[in-house]
Parts: sequence; structure tokens; C-alpha cells
Amino acid sequence: MPADAAIQLRDVAFEYLTNGRVTRAVEDVSLEVTRGATVAFVGPSGCGKSTLLKLVAGLLTTSRGTIIVDGRPVKGPLENVGMAFQNPVLLPWRTVLDNLLLPFEILRENGDPRAPDRAVWKDKASALLKTVGLAGAEHRQPRELSGGMRQRVSLCRALIHEPRLLLLDEPFAALDAFTREEMWELHQTLRRHREFTGVLVTHDLREAVFLAQTIYVMSADPGRIAHVHEVKLPTPRTLAQLYGAEATALIRLMREQIRPSREAVA
Amino acid sequence: MSGLVSRRVVLPLLLFAAVLAVWEAAVPLLRIQQIVLPTPSGIALTMVHTAGPIAFHARHTLVTTLLGFGFAVGLGLLLGFAIGASATVHDAIYPLLVGFNSIPKAAMVPLLVMWFGIGAVPAVLTAFLLAFFPVAVNVAVGLATLESELRDVLRALGASRWQIFRKVGVPRTMPLFFASLKVAISSAFVGSVISETVASNAGIGYLMAVAGSDFNTRLAFGGLFVLAAMGVLLYGVFAIIERRMTAWAYTE
Repeated sequence: MPADAAIQLRDVAFEYLTNGRVTRAVEDVSLEVTRGATVAFVGPSGCGKSTLLKLVAGLLTTSRGTIIVDGRPVKGPLENVGMAFQNPVLLPWRTVLDNLLLPFEILRENGDPRAPDRAVWKDKASALLKTVGLAGAEHRQPRELSGGMRQRVSLCRALIHEPRLLLLDEPFAALDAFTREEMWELHQTLRRHREFTGVLVTHDLREAVFLAQTIYVMSADPGRIAHVHEVKLPTPRTLAQLYGAEATALIRLMREQIRPSREAVA
Repeated sequence: MSGLVSRRVVLPLLLFAAVLAVWEAAVPLLRIQQIVLPTPSGIALTMVHTAGPIAFHARHTLVTTLLGFGFAVGLGLLLGFAIGASATVHDAIYPLLVGFNSIPKAAMVPLLVMWFGIGAVPAVLTAFLLAFFPVAVNVAVGLATLESELRDVLRALGASRWQIFRKVGVPRTMPLFFASLKVAISSAFVGSVISETVASNAGIGYLMAVAGSDFNTRLAFGGLFVLAAMGVLLYGVFAIIERRMTAWAYTE
């Protein structure tokens, strides 16, 4: 195993029983993610993208194969992971700041050294809010925020304990097109500020091209990796690049690759 | 805003006054005997004359209702947490609970009287039996509908089930819990009055039963008005508590 592989999957499969029938959600997945890189999984609905993400986080257990994160096999929920989903799931009874203090409270109760004291954590929360363009929003209620702002807070919550892995499951799918593009740029900014390895699950091919260094195109039933693409666009990336010949060709190619799989499911 | 509130207070009061006025006029006009339907003024007069006993019985009803309600909230919370937190407990208890809830509780009063005799105990127990179900169900639903994404976010921080329950499950369930208190207090009130009517020697239910057997229609109506006022008051108190405790759930 290369020294710089943050995540390694070897012949990973995941099956579950529904009504006495075995459903093969993921099969034969082997890959490596370089430390500090972001990879994206794209594919039709039901191709096991989200399942793969949960397997990496240790929230689900593989049926076969092994997953190694930071040199250790994943046996249960990892603790150095940040997660964000399409639904920002902020706690509506807590202010923005108190939402960001939730990870702190849990880590401190569990005696984790990453939670030194509340004041330090509050400063971290404020600094992070500033980075995502929400300076001064500490005491606002989640219900007062727009969808994009909530998603920013959700990203802050995923990053505040400085996780080595950031796992994103369609985090921007519910946002309007302009806000989504803003969030892509924000994600890029965040990556310049701190080092984390990213795994992104998305339906949006442009999003995958903008954010990832490697894109895995999956096919459904069972979920397998059908194609792998390296995105060679220079970084930092710009939205204009997405309209260039190289990105357009890649997006068109991936669309063609996903289509037959979609028809098979239908 | 204040215009809306005064509308919501003034309009029903005006309608209530109008109904009383029509009633007052209709009784002599239609030559209805006072023993069948007394006039509101006659009822009011009787209520003033018997203010002492009415207050005594009202206090008794209030105490039995609140006692039964208190026990119901305690057990309802425990049961709701257990059902909401564990699929096994849910599958085992929930069907039985629904079955039990479909028993008309008035039918249990004779049994309670056999065990505990006539008095406050059957009233408290009837109030309790009617009131714990809504609390248990609401708390269980609140816990069971926790977003799976939120659970994943917390588990990825190393949170235990107990931590997820405390930090998210319980606060998230509070709006449903407080909403259930309004229903529970009304149910408890119904329960204690039912029991007093058939098996007690105190309480507004008892007062009305006695008034009925004496053909004291005015007093029976008086009891009815007192019950209505108490019911609205109890409901109102818990509706206000609900708003105060879980404001975040109402401004979305």
C-alpha cells in the first residue's frame, strides 16, 4: 500500500436482506484515494454511491472485502470524519454557534483531546463561519437562514473538529444553481485552508468535475465501478473551465456512460 | 397582531353572550319549566348561593385531575422513550397499548371501585388511564422519527446511542411532548369527572350526580359551566406552556 493513500478499498461488497431476498448494493469495489485528494462517485440512482460513503465512514459494515483508512481497517464508525448531506439537519432549537458546538460537546464527553476548552472551540467556530461568508451569524437561529446558508453551517459542523476525511453525500443538491456554484468555490477555498481527503457523492457531473481529482462512474444493480476518469483541469479551478472543451468532453462522455445503466434499471 | 388576538377573544365572547341572551328570553317565551331548562340568570343565582360547596368540589376535581395527569406524564414519558428508542420494545408493547387504549375507560371504573372503594383513588386512576396514552405515543413518535442523516453525523463523531438520545432525541421530542400535554390534561379531566359521577363523594362529577338525583337542574347546569371553565383553563395553561417551551418549533 502506498504511503500516501488515505483510503483504500479492496474487493468491497455490501449486501442486505429485504423480504428474504439478497440485494447486492455494492460489489467488487477496489480503489485508493490519495491523501488530500477529493474523489467523486457519480452514477444512476440506486448504484450504491451513498452506501459506499457509509461503508468508508464505518456506519455500515462490509459484507466482504476490507476498507483501510489511514492505515487501519475500518471496524466501526470512524471518529475523524466530517459528514454533510443534502439535508443540512441543523438542530432547530440551537443557535448557529450552538450547532457548531455540538461536535465539541460530544468529543469532550468522550474525553477526546480535540476538544480542549469551549472558548477555543468558539473561536474556531467564528473563524470557520467567517471563511464560509457567515461572519457574525453565531447567534442566529437556523430557521432564519436560507437553504444555502444552512448548508454552509452544515459544512462548518462537518469541518470544525478538523477531520481527516470529509464525506459529502449530495450536499448541494437542494440548492439553486447559483448558490450551488458558490458552494463549489467555497469548498475549494476550504481545501486551501485545511487539509482533508474528500469523498463526494453526487448526481451533478459538473460538480464532480469541479471538485474532484478522480471521478468514479458507477453502474447499478449491483453497484460497481464502471469507469474511472482523472480530471486534469489545473487548480484552483474556475467556473469558466466547466464550459471549456476539456470539461465539456468529459461530462458528455460520462453522460453516455451513465445512460445505459439507467435504462437497465428502468 | 393585537387586532387578531382581540378578534379571537372578543368574537367568541360576543357569540356566547348572544346565546345566553336568546336562551334567557326563550325559556319564559316558550313556557319551558325551570326544572327542565332553567334560565342562565337562575343558574347564575344558584351558582352564587352555592359558591362555597362548588369551590370545594371544584378543588377536589382539580386535585384528582392533576394527580392522575402527573402520574400519566411520568409513565407516558418513560414508556414513550422506551418505545421510541428500541424497535424491540416498540414491536412488543405498541400493539398491546393500542388495544388497551381502545377500551372505554369508563368501563373500568366499577373494577377500580371494587379494588379501591369509593373516593378519590378511582378518580385519580381513571384520569391516569385516559391521559398516559397520548403522552407515550407522541414521545415515541418524536424519538422514532429522528433524521437518519443527523444520526450519521453524530455517529461519525463517535457519539454513543445514549448521547444521541440526550443531545438530539430528547430536545427534538419536546414539541410533541408539550403538544401531548394539552390532550392529556383534557383526557385526565374527563377521566376524573367520569369516575366522580359514578363512584365518589366529592368533586364536581359527584355534585352533578347529586343535583341530578335531587332534580336540581340549576345546580346541574352550574356544575356543567364550572367544568367547561375548568376544562378551558387547564387546556389554556398547557397551550401557553407549550408555546413558551418550544417556540423554535412554531416559527418555521
